[in-house]
Amino acid sequence: MTAAHSPIRCLLGMLGTDVHTKGIRTLAQLLRDAGVEVIYLGEHNTVEGMVSALIAEDADIVGVSFSSAAYVHYLAQLTTLMKQKGVGGIPLMVGGLVHAEDHEQLRQMGIQGIFGPGSQLQDIIAYIQRATGKKLG
Amino acid sequence: MTDDNEIKLSRTRTWGGLATEPSYGPGPAQGDYHRDLGNPGEYPYTRGAYPHMYRSRMWTLRHIVGYGAPEDTRDGIEKARAAGATGINVVVDTLTQQAIDPDHPAFSAEVGLEGCSIPTLRDAERLLAGIDITQQDIAWHSTILTYPMVAALAVKQALPLDKLQGSNMPDHLSLALSGWGTALLPPKMAQRITADCVEYSVKYSPRWALGMPQAYDLRERGLTPAGEIAVGMAIVNRLIDDLKQRGMPVDRVAPSLAWVSTSDIDFFEEIAKFRALRRIWARTMKERHGATDHRSMRLRIACHTAGKSLTYQQPLNNLARASIQTMAALLGGVQSVETCTYDEPICIPTPEARDLAIRTQQILAHEVGAARTADPLGGSYYIEALTDQVEAEALKMLAEIEAIGLLKAIEDHTIEAMMDRHGLEIQREMAAKERVVVGVNEFVQADARTPRRFTFDPGHTQEHLRRFAELKRSRDQSALKNKLQSLYTATVNDHNTHGPMIEAFVADATIAEIWGAVRVAYGHSYDPFRVLQAPGYFASNVP
Repeated sequence: MTAAHSPIRCLLGMLGTDVHTKGIRTLAQLLRDAGVEVIYLGEHNTVEGMVSALIAEDADIVGVSFSSAAYVHYLAQLTTLMKQKGVGGIPLMVGGLVHAEDHEQLRQMGIQGIFGPGSQLQDIIAYIQRATGKKLG
Repeated sequence: MTDDNEIKLSRTRTWGGLATEPSYGPGPAQGDYHRDLGNPGEYPYTRGAYPHMYRSRMWTLRHIVGYGAPEDTRDGIEKARAAGATGINVVVDTLTQQAIDPDHPAFSAEVGLEGCSIPTLRDAERLLAGIDITQQDIAWHSTILTYPMVAALAVKQALPLDKLQGSNMPDHLSLALSGWGTALLPPKMAQRITADCVEYSVKYSPRWALGMPQAYDLRERGLTPAGEIAVGMAIVNRLIDDLKQRGMPVDRVAPSLAWVSTSDIDFFEEIAKFRALRRIWARTMKERHGATDHRSMRLRIACHTAGKSLTYQQPLNNLARASIQTMAALLGGVQSVETCTYDEPICIPTPEARDLAIRTQQILAHEVGAARTADPLGGSYYIEALTDQVEAEALKMLAEIEAIGLLKAIEDHTIEAMMDRHGLEIQREMAAKERVVVGVNEFVQADARTPRRFTFDPGHTQEHLRRFAELKRSRDQSALKNKLQSLYTATVNDHNTHGPMIEAFVADATIAEIWGAVRVAYGHSYDPFRVLQAPGYFASNVP
């Protein structure tokens, strides 16, 4: 078995006090159905907690969802801490109510997977495979 | 490719998934008028809570306000009143909602961001300076510690508690189901504190209204209209049973309750829901709980239109959606409405969006004639059949939940799984275009402009944080410690927690300290995020 065929481990969770879990819970199930190994961290994580989980779970990719306007702030904290802890190379994707005006700032943080309103599941799946360099069976 | 000019029916089921017929007519399905419908204002209240409905009392035109420091929100309230809002509604920020202090190191970015930050009694005083809380009805969109904080304000101002006006939403269990999770709101603790709040406020502040159950958040999280009735009634049944055990009969409790509902995009299904809901409520109060007071059986409904139905894409379309939803709420006979602003999926309301939401209600009130006659769709073959259908589905789901037991169904994630299934079904139907949302999965516009966002000066928030730190330093530490320990002891000994909570607020305790005392008494971590340590005097009790 080559590395390219090992399962894709994707950590999904939310940061801060945001309680709007509907979207990410639905995505978690849809990704599982597509063959992704989802580690669902749930809501109400601190940045530190999420980075620790990322390291402990040895995830290939991490996805966070926001309905709150605090996402630029939290993603800056998250990307900084990921670099400090030596996991800055793990791709990060963000979904939810991400405003188009913030896309550039998020890209500058190194976030390539931006899935705001209207994103399609197949685009998310394509991105996950591209970013992790792994294929889904 | 879709031709925008050709519209084909994309769906024959309701948005909640009920099958419908091509047409409806008279038949055996139509029940007995007096038994099943009754005139408006008569048991079982299917046709409305009051005989003359909006002729005797217009609905309260509400608009929600909350951002930044207390002084920012006060400014917003004054502007909404100037635009024609008839009720004051306060939304607190997510930290205040969850009883987290603004100096929590993990969440500073969220202080005042999407609501008003009110972590202490001093902040409530700033927000409501010059407003007499025994005269002015303020609707608080919050649950944890809201009533005790407002009651503490009355105590501090030497106003009589029994004259206190206003309302909050004391339903902690619905929050545990609506994305807060059981770590933030352990179900047994949630249920107990709700019962404490209702018992205390009914006893000491009979004019205080209780938005209970908080079914709005449950719907947003993922329940159908029938599911809203089922889970909401399960929560209410449990509360009434709890209070009966404490010696408070249904007729003392039920008249203070108002159902917090939504109005989603399926016009007829929502109208049917409001009607079925009133009927189920009336019969449950009378037949199951033994109510004899008509005010217990007559359900009042507070409605906020469905935020989740609104789309980020082509946001002006949301004006059409919110208008139809508001109309459904009025034809369904609700007592108050908050119409979502069209920019709800983008940001907290801009002034333009706020004015349009208020004007929408004014147009419905004064031009459309939506308020003219009670239950204007009563007797429609379709509406009556759909009312029966929603009712039957709701009662079936309620029986399933109660067979498991409400708390167990929350703890073992049965209800959450029910909501997840609905969410997944919606996603699959949208992918298959069996459910069309204009601008999202059909009629998509590639070059849509990006909507503007609400902004406000964070200057007051900085000052607010400085004041908070200063208060924590300067208050009487030994009085504070005494009050928090009394609260801890009351919680452990199963005494009502709300008296001690009020005293703790008066002693300038913060929301996180007060809630933390309750959490520790239940054996939970002081800080649900496990970042902060409990104050030393709780140390021996902390797990």
